[in-house]
Amino acid sequence: MTNCFQLRWPTRSGLPPFAPVLSVGVVVALLAWSAPVAEVNAGHLYASIPRLIDFLRNILVMPDWKYLPQLGQKMLETLEMTFLATSIAAVISLPLSFLAARNTCPFPALFHGVRALLSLVRALPEMVWALVFVSAIGLGPLPGIMALAFVTVGFMTKFFAEAIEVVDQRAVEGVAAHGAGWLQVKIFAHLPQAWPDFIGAIMYILDHNLRGATLLGLVGAGGIGYDMIMSMRLFDYNRILVIAVAIYIVVTALDRVSDQFRARVI
Amino acid sequence: MKMALMPKKPFNRAPIWIAAVLTVLWLIILHLDLSFQTLLYGYKDLFEYFGRYSSPDFSNLSRYLVLLWQTLAIAFWGTILALVAGVVLAPFAARNMTPNRVVYRIARELLNLMRALPDLLLALIFVASMGLGPLPGVLALGIHTAGFLGKFFAESLERVDRGVIEAIQATGASRTQVLMYGGWPSIQREFLGNSLYILERNVRMAAVLGLVGAGGIGLALNASLETFKFRESAALIIVILVPVLAFDNLSTWLREKLK
Repeated sequence: MTNCFQLRWPTRSGLPPFAPVLSVGVVVALLAWSAPVAEVNAGHLYASIPRLIDFLRNILVMPDWKYLPQLGQKMLETLEMTFLATSIAAVISLPLSFLAARNTCPFPALFHGVRALLSLVRALPEMVWALVFVSAIGLGPLPGIMALAFVTVGFMTKFFAEAIEVVDQRAVEGVAAHGAGWLQVKIFAHLPQAWPDFIGAIMYILDHNLRGATLLGLVGAGGIGYDMIMSMRLFDYNRILVIAVAIYIVVTALDRVSDQFRARVI
Repeated sequence: MKMALMPKKPFNRAPIWIAAVLTVLWLIILHLDLSFQTLLYGYKDLFEYFGRYSSPDFSNLSRYLVLLWQTLAIAFWGTILALVAGVVLAPFAARNMTPNRVVYRIARELLNLMRALPDLLLALIFVASMGLGPLPGVLALGIHTAGFLGKFFAESLERVDRGVIEAIQATGASRTQVLMYGGWPSIQREFLGNSLYILERNVRMAAVLGLVGAGGIGLALNASLETFKFRESAALIIVILVPVLAFDNLSTWLREKLK
């Protein structure tokens, strides 16, 4: 009788499984190799703890109540930027997505071209585009909205196209059999079926864009981020925590609302 | 055919929704005081402006590559940090694995908090408290994406079949053993897919962490744009673009394979 209390690995041979051990080993080796480059070392981390505590003590002060109206104003601006950028992107993405979906694109070459273009648009984060647009048209919310909308088109068209690709082909044939034209088939067969997925994608992107919009101000592209970096630079410690809490509240609120909405639609 | 026999035409609500959205958008444009006309009037200037990016200047390529390497290192470390934190938190935030309601709520809210604070904001705070360098960037990416990974893993765990869990519990397995032999084998594909997605996202985000002084290539891009060296900026954008695109395609391909 074998001793069932003996400690052994739950594999057939009782030896550690090869693939997981190898991958963990590779990851650890890579971590060790890149640690000096990322300047990750315990000493630095340990030495920065007192400074972190010092900083926390600095920001844990009575908030600057007189700042609240301006904070509300900036938060509203951030929300408006999010909403506007997402809407602009949705208007552009809707027709584009029919070209980016395999089953609705009239020419295969065009489909591959649109897909490649979209992945190029998605590649850089909106902050990089915000930097470029701010230097092109100046400070303010407009470059921020343009940057957000630009990157969002890349993501939204991809999500929309994926939703269109999974529609039931029988409904498409049914509508086409009635003598519907190309556009009518798209509107009455593809769109209604893909609609719930579209709403889901829009809600997800709205969430994502709100997070993005809170940061655009760091490069001067409008929204709450500008106040954040300014109070950081001017050592207005009594504002930093209020701003962080406000961002947390708004992002979480939109998260909950969109979860509810998505659950109702889908 | 008599009209009475026709089914009632369903009430179409789409125009109302479209009108409402358009009104809100119009109000927003008024409130933000945006003028898209200036864009149209100035389109020649814009073309001229973007023309300045047309001949990238790669004379500092070796420096860019060093910065790029640092960016990738930040992304990698941040992702692994997030992975570890996410794996530790996920079982507590999954409804079917958590010891009790209170722990579940605490874990969920902790993950929410980590997700809600954007990574650049965290980076800003860490830079202010720890000084310039890549380490604050690693911490910011790690904390922010741990929130995402923890949530994804918890949701995957919640989808594990009840029967699997009950079967393992019936053998007298402890909570950790249920997790190891019931949870882990069921979620490992999703686990790898989500981790790859986050790594891909972090590579992209690490490129902009430099804007707030948290290391990587973003700082060089910001500096070149602020000093109007557009040819250098174009080169930097290309240097960022190539690995991001390569990585995107690699991870998309890998995730397809995992399915």
